[in-house]
Amino acid sequence: MEKFQPYAIGDEQTAEFSLCGDVKAGFPSPAEDIGEKLDLVKLLVRHRASTFFFRVSGVSMVEADMDEGDILIVDRSIEPYNNCKAICFIDGEYTVKRVEIHEQEIRLMPANESIKKYKPIIITPDNTLVIWGVVTYIIKRA
Amino acid sequence: MFALADCNNFFVSCERVFRPELNGRPVIVLSNNDGCAIARSNEAKALGIKMGAPMFKIRDIVQQHRVEVFSGNMALYGDMSRRVRWTLEEFVPFIEVYSIDEAFMDLRGLDIADYDAFAKEVSARCWRNVAIPVSVGVSHTKTLAKIAASLCKKYPKLRGGCFMAREQDIEKVLRRYPVGDVWGIGRRSVAKLMDMGVQTAWDFTRLGEGLVHRVFGLSGLRTWRELRGESCIELDDSGEGRQSICVSRSFSREITDCVELSEQVATFAAKAVEKLRAQHSACVEMVVFASTNRFRDDEPQTSLSRAVLFDVATADHRRIISSAVGAMRDIFRSGYGYKKAGVVITKLIPESGVIHSLFEDGQARQRDTKLSAALDSIKRDFGRDAVRFASQGSGEIISSHERQSPHYTTLWSDLPKVSVK
Repeated sequence: MEKFQPYAIGDEQTAEFSLCGDVKAGFPSPAEDIGEKLDLVKLLVRHRASTFFFRVSGVSMVEADMDEGDILIVDRSIEPYNNCKAICFIDGEYTVKRVEIHEQEIRLMPANESIKKYKPIIITPDNTLVIWGVVTYIIKRA
Repeated sequence: MFALADCNNFFVSCERVFRPELNGRPVIVLSNNDGCAIARSNEAKALGIKMGAPMFKIRDIVQQHRVEVFSGNMALYGDMSRRVRWTLEEFVPFIEVYSIDEAFMDLRGLDIADYDAFAKEVSARCWRNVAIPVSVGVSHTKTLAKIAASLCKKYPKLRGGCFMAREQDIEKVLRRYPVGDVWGIGRRSVAKLMDMGVQTAWDFTRLGEGLVHRVFGLSGLRTWRELRGESCIELDDSGEGRQSICVSRSFSREITDCVELSEQVATFAAKAVEKLRAQHSACVEMVVFASTNRFRDDEPQTSLSRAVLFDVATADHRRIISSAVGAMRDIFRSGYGYKKAGVVITKLIPESGVIHSLFEDGQARQRDTKLSAALDSIKRDFGRDAVRFASQGSGEIISSHERQSPHYTTLWSDLPKVSVK
């Protein structure tokens, strides 16, 4: 065991004292006992290999719960399920759609239902690649 | 059994992840250094664009066929590579990352009923998770697994997975496999093999063991055994650091000024130190170099280089950067336009193995160590460009990234955009 070396008060080395960890100074910090910390990344990114972030752009659309600048967390490993929101690649751009799964077909519904001009898109087994990934969380500024 | 997972046309595939409309179109990625094609989509290969072809030679093809051209985006490729690696690790406990786009998987001792289905499943999962097409070959040895993986690229029917283990199948494949394409057979060996009348991998396996050992040495013998189904190249999962570190770039214009060139060299050295420190190594020997544009016959040509030896191995930012700059100032010759420069750490050792000199100023060393550690933590917390040395000038590399895609997965400001419709 190493010899205990007292530190003189005012000595410049006191600045290096670490309050927790292996150098004990005064009372042990109660914070040391907290093993698990809340980790937002762990919560939001369940599957790190397949999770990607997208940024919402364009006019704000209240009904879709998505506004300009929001960050969408997208997990490609999740199989699209009925009524999920998905990032779809249509006509050269990414669009969020609501996925309706019917027995015979899959329909991509406008995520923004207030705008009537967007018609549902029906996908067949040949063009399933349209769905890029399933949206798992929306991060928005309060 | 071993598996090799090999990402198809990796850099191009990375560019396609966020630009799906590029599927089916000719795409190439250029090197930072020479403006040469370093990755080609199958469509670009079909147009006759060769690996390493300099951009100025293929300009016509590019224009005529509207080939999509990207400058390398290493931040994106590195991130996608990591995701593929994580996906592979979902299947097996041990993988060996062989390069940015290849990894071996150790399947020994695993309970896999159907290797062919396994290979296809690994490929499918990589596509699903990361949107990267991956060829997975499975066989008795690493060398054979690599050949099996190459079959997936040739035959889309295999759906990304190929199990090649029956003797008659292996023979059939090796009989048509050029010996020069075998993993571990170098260009020099190929010349010798051609003289001996050995054309295919199969021909090679028919040579006598003693002859192979005599002519091609131990490594040739290993390849010979591996091709015959005897595993002798172990999986290296030690993750040992690289044996050399190179940071070099071609500039978007020619640099004629010593100060400007030195600033670039300082920035390369700073990046090299970052890599060095990330793998907990220390630099023993470093080479600093610069060269003129070799494609300009009308201009005077020169190339400069200087090796720097450190008496005590170091990972200290200041020592390495100032030595690199000092070397460049020493060797600089005016009257030339420099197009490319770089810093290569040619000899490095683990940080723990550094032997300090008796005559060193111990206090100064401790101070430097603290300074470097502080720099590391600033870079970690505030981004790698948060601090730089004055010798780096603006710290920006004079290189062309005009055609670089956004850093989709590594910069908040570059996230792919999505509209709500």
